[in-house]
Amino acid sequence: MSVALDANPRTDPPLDFPDREFGELSHQDYAELGFLCGLEVHQQLLTDRKLFCRCPAGIRSQQVDAEVLRHMRPTLSELGEYDGCALMEYKTRKEIIYQLARSSVCTYEMDDTPPFPIDEQAVQVAISIARLFGLDLVSELHVMRKQYLDGSIPTGFQRTAMIGGGGTIPFRASELGSDRMLRIRQLTLEEDSCREVSDVGHRITFRTDRLGMPLIETVTEPDLLTPLDAARGNRLLAAIARSSGKVRRGPGAARQDVNVSIAGSRRVEIKGVPSWRWIPRLTHNEAFRHLNLLRLRRELLARSVNAAHLAISAKGLPWECSDLVVEASSIVRRSSFGPIWDAISRGDTICAVKLPGFGGLLEHPTQPGVTFAHEIEERVRVIACPTTRPFMIGRADYGVDAATWRAVRSALRAGEGDAVVLLWGAPEDAATAAREVLLRAQDSLVGVPSETRQASAGGNTGFERILPGPERMYPDTDTPPLPIVDAWVDTIDVVERPWERADRYVAAGVPAAAAEELATSPWAELFDDLSPSAPSTARRLAFAIIKRGHGLRARLGAETASAAERLRPLVEATDAGRISPHWFEAAFYELLVDSGPAEHILDRWRPSSDDCQQQEMDVVRANVAKLSGKSADARLRWAMGQVLSTVTMDPLQLRDRLVRELALTEDGA
Amino acid sequence: MSATDKHGYEGYRDPTKSVMKRFGVTVWSQVQAETTRGPFHGLVLPRSETSDADHLVLKLGSGYNVGLRADTITKLTKTGYKQAHYKIPEEEFPSDPSKPSVILLGTGGTIASRLDYRTGAVIPAFSPGELYGSVPELSEICNLQTEKLFGEFSENIGPTHYIALAKRIGEAIAGGADGIVIGHGTDTMHHTAAALSFMVQRPPVPVVMVGSQRSSDRPSSDAARNLIHATWAAGCGSIAEVMVCMFGPTSDRYNLLHRGTRVRKMHSSTRSTFRTLGDVPLAMLQDRELTPIHATWNKRRDDRDVDVHAVFDERVTILYYYPNMQPDLIDAVVDAGYKGIVIAGTGLGHVNRKVYPALERARNAGVSVFMTLQTLWGFVQMHVYETGREILEFGVVPLANMLPEVAYVKLGWALAMHPDDPGAVKDLMTTTLAGEMTEREPHDGYLVFQGGVPEIDELLGRIWS
Ligand SMILES: [Zn+2]
Repeated sequence: MSVALDANPRTDPPLDFPDREFGELSHQDYAELGFLCGLEVHQQLLTDRKLFCRCPAGIRSQQVDAEVLRHMRPTLSELGEYDGCALMEYKTRKEIIYQLARSSVCTYEMDDTPPFPIDEQAVQVAISIARLFGLDLVSELHVMRKQYLDGSIPTGFQRTAMIGGGGTIPFRASELGSDRMLRIRQLTLEEDSCREVSDVGHRITFRTDRLGMPLIETVTEPDLLTPLDAARGNRLLAAIARSSGKVRRGPGAARQDVNVSIAGSRRVEIKGVPSWRWIPRLTHNEAFRHLNLLRLRRELLARSVNAAHLAISAKGLPWECSDLVVEASSIVRRSSFGPIWDAISRGDTICAVKLPGFGGLLEHPTQPGVTFAHEIEERVRVIACPTTRPFMIGRADYGVDAATWRAVRSALRAGEGDAVVLLWGAPEDAATAAREVLLRAQDSLVGVPSETRQASAGGNTGFERILPGPERMYPDTDTPPLPIVDAWVDTIDVVERPWERADRYVAAGVPAAAAEELATSPWAELFDDLSPSAPSTARRLAFAIIKRGHGLRARLGAETASAAERLRPLVEATDAGRISPHWFEAAFYELLVDSGPAEHILDRWRPSSDDCQQQEMDVVRANVAKLSGKSADARLRWAMGQVLSTVTMDPLQLRDRLVRELALTEDGA
Repeated sequence: MSATDKHGYEGYRDPTKSVMKRFGVTVWSQVQAETTRGPFHGLVLPRSETSDADHLVLKLGSGYNVGLRADTITKLTKTGYKQAHYKIPEEEFPSDPSKPSVILLGTGGTIASRLDYRTGAVIPAFSPGELYGSVPELSEICNLQTEKLFGEFSENIGPTHYIALAKRIGEAIAGGADGIVIGHGTDTMHHTAAALSFMVQRPPVPVVMVGSQRSSDRPSSDAARNLIHATWAAGCGSIAEVMVCMFGPTSDRYNLLHRGTRVRKMHSSTRSTFRTLGDVPLAMLQDRELTPIHATWNKRRDDRDVDVHAVFDERVTILYYYPNMQPDLIDAVVDAGYKGIVIAGTGLGHVNRKVYPALERARNAGVSVFMTLQTLWGFVQMHVYETGREILEFGVVPLANMLPEVAYVKLGWALAMHPDDPGAVKDLMTTTLAGEMTEREPHDGYLVFQGGVPEIDELLGRIWS
């Protein structure tokens, strides 16, 4: 993604827009905010093996047979500049531990063996899904390396290949109207990364079972204009991938990165969102975080703060080379504040940083319950990797006695308009931390820094790393290009797209909403297999499948064919008029729960013989007379209940007959 | 093909080249491509010479490369031109008189490199300025001088290179270098290490060979760590021998210094591929600290004395014995004029009876034949079985636990040291000069763990964590 695409096209931030909770805004409000959202949906493919080695795919393993320790070293780009992300990761100087189990990992994943030829099964699945999205396919696959220095992949890069791009799909579920379209920028086939086990101080630990599994990443254009649309767009993409029948389900099999910007801000990527349900609140809160950071920027500009005031040289100890930082160990040594005591006794370096012009702004809100001080703290935590908590305070009333705080401020010559942050940690970490505080403060003059952020279930986001640039992509010299020949593309079955399927269901008699839902459900195939001919049967069958969806798998197994065999007599009988559509769902349910022969079960729902019906009518006729005190409507309902508890007949016909033969009428009829 | 014809179409052949010409498009053109599979927009990249002739390579705005088949292209519209320039910015390598001076000799393997992200080309970094840009830690260790001797992949390095290297090492020592580092591809590093061990005897300063198993353009590369450790061992280390400095385990924990005559590449791709065989390594290197492992090694000296014997007779070969080997193979080698043969025999140093006549003919033709082991570990012991005793009768000389490749290199050197004097060659071969044969094999000199065995898995779980 290029820099130009990262900036929101609108440059006028709606700074005076009122703060609102999620759920309080209309889509017009989001339009005023300039809310833009794009998705990167990751979906593991259902293959036998991993993408670049012959390890089995899909094995989850807690077993740890061995551990490997590595570091990641940034490589320089052509211009001699580190990628922003790369530089940051190196500052953290992390020890990376990979836990491996022999059942799921070989020397390829450990970066000790070059890749084997790409798994063709995975390529075929990726192509078939790309065709569902209507993408323009490349004719030759080039495997690229995308750098990741966070350690989540032992090579330091992810092998990834472009399958196709430039597609458009109907986005009927959009809250902006059923004629909306969603543009798909690209679909890539890539290897999955490790699962993080822990991240403490300078040591991060990963489990490698998932590493190397084939997945596709589907990237949309920023066409999702409200938080709700972002979630619905996500569901749509997931459903299309699932409709191929060749993707993995279950925890971790699908994850998404959500990109958000508003007018005047730049793209921020919320990474690894586990469920579409999280998306509305996350994107709403993130939009308002942007707004709050833009307001902070406005305030700083009004106070004439500029980057030069916050500058610090990249080399040397911050407290020796900058007036904005002091080594504060001697100043705070009499403090009664517990964490500072602990820091002193550990031999930590304690330093204080002055942020000129930031007076009162550390408390500036950014997200629900979160302030700008937290933004600084997160950056320091991720980049300097302090090993203790807390490691930073930005206010006297946090617990430091007033005298100490005054002494710190005076050592920094901090005035009313300045903010002060106190930090502690191992000497190297404290130096990194002090520098990082100033770097983050500088970023606040830009407004919203380009970041990758972590999602929390509560709907807030936290700093993860600086957003990597496009410079981090380069060809994988270990794998030859793979031609995607026409003959191959032609032999890959293209499944009907969900919206095409929905159209077909509507034509068959299924109401639009149910058709949309059925089309993206795993049981669409069952519906097609049974192919009801009467519109009323189609409608009933669609409802029954949607309602009893999960029961189906449990009762009849995952095989569509066996479920169809069980249900076919019911569909045929209903189509032929032998069973009333009214009893369809009840009979459907009984076929699931009762393992007896289908014909016997269906017999219960066939209309009873005329004799039986007549006999029951006579009984009811005798009894209904006793209900003279009740309303006509109540008597009719009672009579219907009586008859239907004994015989099977179409309720509409019965009602007509009761009205006719017993002179029962509905109220007001 | 004329030079101008090739220019602008790097790596492209027909039919793709014709399509490019038809639409006036060359490499580095920014193009809008219309194809039967849809439109694509990107920068035309050079094509690898070994790839097929049918595809045009574009780098898209997203950074991805894709191939477009020539016969699917209906139109190419040039929208711009953006040539990549391969250039590495140089920063001056800081000089500090209190630090040792180290000379880095380059042979062609890339120890350090930069990546051109636009094209993916790996640009070797070699001058001190370039190296400072990619491995700045080196400036904390030494004053670095670099010299590119050749530009060869490891597999193309041979006797002429051994000789040039040995001479240059001798000059560097005379010139006052405190240590010498040799960057080398890993595949044949142990051959070169053995050759330099015989050609440069008793060096007063460390001669350290180094390479990388994972190319330096990747974040997980072992290159920078290897180079830092090797440079430290050369400039500050106390062991003055010809050594190989590479990763110990696959983890980024420590490096090992291996004696040049006992080291061997044992795995095609893993980082921990270099192993000392039949003995223990000289030392461990971790966090700029050298911890000796071996009991004996040559100490760094202040003098500048060194014995350089930079000669090699190429008429030597190595025969890897297999059951049913036929005598005509040995006859052919003798007839081709070879002066020396190293046999990698089975077991304790055996070959089958069929080749006996050929061994006899070789001896009569004045060809020196030596016995080593394809088991790699253990000693040649030809007196144990009758077969061995019979083979000795044909003048085959056992070489104890000298590694086959080391024996090959030593024999080429020895034949050049004593032309036409098989007796002197035999004496030289059976005299240990640089640790190539050992008196005894320590119990931990042979270690090939058997995976899957409970006690080994338990051990690995413990030490690999
Ligand atoms: Zn594997």
